Amino acid sequence: MVFMPIVEKYRSKVQEVVLGATRAQGGTRDFTVTVGGEAALPFLHYEGQIPHRPLIGMEIWDTAPADWPACFAPYFADSFRDPAVWAQRCVSGYGADLVVLHLKSADPDLLDTSPEHCAAVVSKVLNAVGCPLVVLGCGKPEKDNLVLPAVAEAAAGENLLLGLAEQNNYKSLTAAAIVYKHTLIAQSPIDINICKQLNILITEMNLPAGRIVIDPTTAALGYGLEYGYSIMERVRIGALQGDAMLSMPMIGNIGAEVWRTREATAPAEENPGWGEQHDRGILWEATTAAALLQAGLDIVVLRHPEAVRLIRQNITELMGGRGV
Amino acid sequence: MTRKVAVFFSPDGRVAHVKRNTSLWEAAAQAGLGLKGTCGGAGTCKRCQVLVRDGPALEKGTGLPSGAGLVLACQTLAAGSVTVDIPQDSRLAEHKVLLGGEDVLTESDADLGRIYRLQPLCRKVRLTLAAPTPEGNMSDWSRLQAALRGETGCDTFRISLPDLRRLAETLRSGNWQVTATLVEAAGCADIVRLEPGHSAGPALGLAIDVGTTTVVVHLVDLETGLVLGKKGTYNKQARFGDDVITRIVYATEQENGLSQLQETVISVVNQLVTGLLAENGRHRRDVHLAVVAGNTTMIHLFLALPPAYIRLEPYIPLAGSPPPVRAAELGLAANPHAVILCLPAVASYVGGDIVAGALLSGIAQEQEVTLFIDIGTNGEMLLGNRDWLVAVACSAGPAFEGGGITFGMRAMQGAVERVAITPESYEVTVETIGGVRPLGLCGSGLIDCLAKLCAAGIINRAGQLQMDFATPRLRRGDDGPEFVLVWQEEAGGGKDIVLTGNDIKNLLRAKAAVYAGIRCLLKAAELEMEAVWKVLIAGGFGSHLNIRDAIAIGLLPDLPAEKFTFVGNAAVKGARLCLLSQEALSEAQALAKKITYLELSAGSDFMEEFVAALFLPHTDLSLFPSV
Repeated sequence: MVFMPIVEKYRSKVQEVVLGATRAQGGTRDFTVTVGGEAALPFLHYEGQIPHRPLIGMEIWDTAPADWPACFAPYFADSFRDPAVWAQRCVSGYGADLVVLHLKSADPDLLDTSPEHCAAVVSKVLNAVGCPLVVLGCGKPEKDNLVLPAVAEAAAGENLLLGLAEQNNYKSLTAAAIVYKHTLIAQSPIDINICKQLNILITEMNLPAGRIVIDPTTAALGYGLEYGYSIMERVRIGALQGDAMLSMPMIGNIGAEVWRTREATAPAEENPGWGEQHDRGILWEATTAAALLQAGLDIVVLRHPEAVRLIRQNITELMGGRGV
Repeated sequence: MTRKVAVFFSPDGRVAHVKRNTSLWEAAAQAGLGLKGTCGGAGTCKRCQVLVRDGPALEKGTGLPSGAGLVLACQTLAAGSVTVDIPQDSRLAEHKVLLGGEDVLTESDADLGRIYRLQPLCRKVRLTLAAPTPEGNMSDWSRLQAALRGETGCDTFRISLPDLRRLAETLRSGNWQVTATLVEAAGCADIVRLEPGHSAGPALGLAIDVGTTTVVVHLVDLETGLVLGKKGTYNKQARFGDDVITRIVYATEQENGLSQLQETVISVVNQLVTGLLAENGRHRRDVHLAVVAGNTTMIHLFLALPPAYIRLEPYIPLAGSPPPVRAAELGLAANPHAVILCLPAVASYVGGDIVAGALLSGIAQEQEVTLFIDIGTNGEMLLGNRDWLVAVACSAGPAFEGGGITFGMRAMQGAVERVAITPESYEVTVETIGGVRPLGLCGSGLIDCLAKLCAAGIINRAGQLQMDFATPRLRRGDDGPEFVLVWQEEAGGGKDIVLTGNDIKNLLRAKAAVYAGIRCLLKAAELEMEAVWKVLIAGGFGSHLNIRDAIAIGLLPDLPAEKFTFVGNAAVKGARLCLLSQEALSEAQALAKKITYLELSAGSDFMEEFVAALFLPHTDLSLFPSV
């Protein structure tokens, strides 16, 4: 007897979202990328089409990160001071699909740089690489409401992936995305209801659903990854069952979560049984990402080039050898 | 010995003699002047503001002389004789109570009779006994019982000791004719009154609804079944806190708290009863029976049963179905031997009031599924038909009764009950109860207001005020963003009437709790909303309920308007049914046992549903296709 897998039929599929814009499209990117479009649960190719492989974004900062462990130095030390160089290294050196620029310097408690400065940094990074760019604010809503519209204006037409829009702070960012033609990250705090409510609020301001990427928020392995996982899974199942307000692709900011855990950063001397910090941190990041890919992430944001390599390999295998 | 001090209240001209260092709030209560308050005297709700005009007053806690200007009555102590002004704003106003009039389920008394046979729990039996002889020498008491047995079918009779002591005289003075007033319930008959001869005097009964917010009494002629009068007022226990939880805390933690609460509610009932009797030219000695419906906590407080464990997990009432008690034991204005029956509760948070509502609505007779919703400080919902009944309760908070809302008020004169907002200019027009200048908003006004603000786009679906709208009505107040509904020139209280961002949050929580409860109930029964054939809404949040608006904000399920009926005060009418029909009382007792109580705190479903409902109308817009 031939084994026949049971094939689940879904009513709908994930929205396709294009990131970046070429010159012909009003931007300056060498190419655009498309995420989403899945018509089945992650990597179940026999159930429905999975037209685009998940993408890897590499996180860079606009200021030298003081708290990243020493295991990053061999890869980036010379480029930490210049985000343009750092971005180039990620793309040409380590094969990042996307560069995720975190405008940390704008934080009023850090360097409190001006919106104009941030806009200039973004332009510089755009000039340095040809891939689509993700830009995140400093995380302080009042400041981001000044910084991100300025960035959106300076990079008008580039179709940046801009973030983060949150339930209590989405209006100015949404307005900027509409006017200057960018795509938006809508972040909700591991809560499927707020996730959906935020998408409703944003689309009711007339940003098309195809210009939203969901950040459902997650924690690192060992820190509540399960919660993030199950919310992502529910978002994806909702999308496949036809819930338009959950149908956007998902992004997960994994590197930032992993590299603040003790397990990833504690030196070997502290816990000899844990093994070398370098390997441990990389595996912690890769394992977290591999798990969440199974939950349906479309964009994983990572920090370490070795974790990127492992995940790229993982994605290639899961996509049946396609891509990368 | 503590010296008493006098607290004078102007302009009422009332005075309270209280112990030194009693709070002005308690003094006001003693003087019969209700002050507003939702925090139970904790000093947090800031509604009981008064002005100390003269005399030594101290700040509670610090013991320092209180400052000039308005102070909180609950946080200010009378250190000596003082004179206090109570501003209009701080007073409990005259209360409008749903009496169950023409707006309700169109049951006339005749209709009720058709469902349940008129067979009152109390009746007068007129007996003629055989006089004793040397052969027929049984005792007077046995003689009376034997005659009663023949007349009633009951086997056991109880008589009070004073009546027994007088029995020989009573029988002989009536020349072996006697009239016994019996209350028959639970297979036992109480002789509540014995009169010599064949008395024609009436037998009166009371149907009482003790609500958290309101108390309603119907005076009923038990022989004819006719309602002689109805009266309602505000439950003055509110001065110890707005919701059942604060009152349980007060009863448990304050010295004499429980007896204070009990005396308060009894005095409220007595005031209504005395008024009804006077208006009808009746006497309290003819009142032989009362049936009381109330939520479980209210019944505990009515009987002064310690309610402490209702509040604590696993939420156990002292008594769900308390035994009958005598009027004299409670101090109720009735014949001292009158029997007081409290309708049985289902659980700690589904009380006899819901059982009464279920009885009245006939939900247990229908083949089709009915949803019964009582929207109060606690929202209770009951779903089912003649085969099954499931109930849930959730804490909606007092928002729909005006609690926790800056300009919230109960449904009384001056309360805004309708709101209209013009789309372009954002001009607001309001209608108030009594057509007077607006003082605040009652539940129906708040529902209206939320729906209209959302429709006008002044708030988004998450309930956030959109401050970028060009209207002076949107502004930043002391508590953050707010919307001015009525400018002070048009308001009755001389202040702008506003709805703040926090008010909107409280309303969202209240409506989300009710809707989440409904969803959990349907989920437990594995039914879709469409399977609900009829929705009955009870509650005292206004004199009317705009069904469209209530659906628009997601308080009520999106069903065709004709499926909804606003039944108003179902509890008192259910209590009246029990007063008049043995059958109805048995049915109520059976209902309390039949209803399955679903504890919402036991799973995660309720929280999940609650968060999904914290949106206008709901996160799942497909549940509200018509909105």
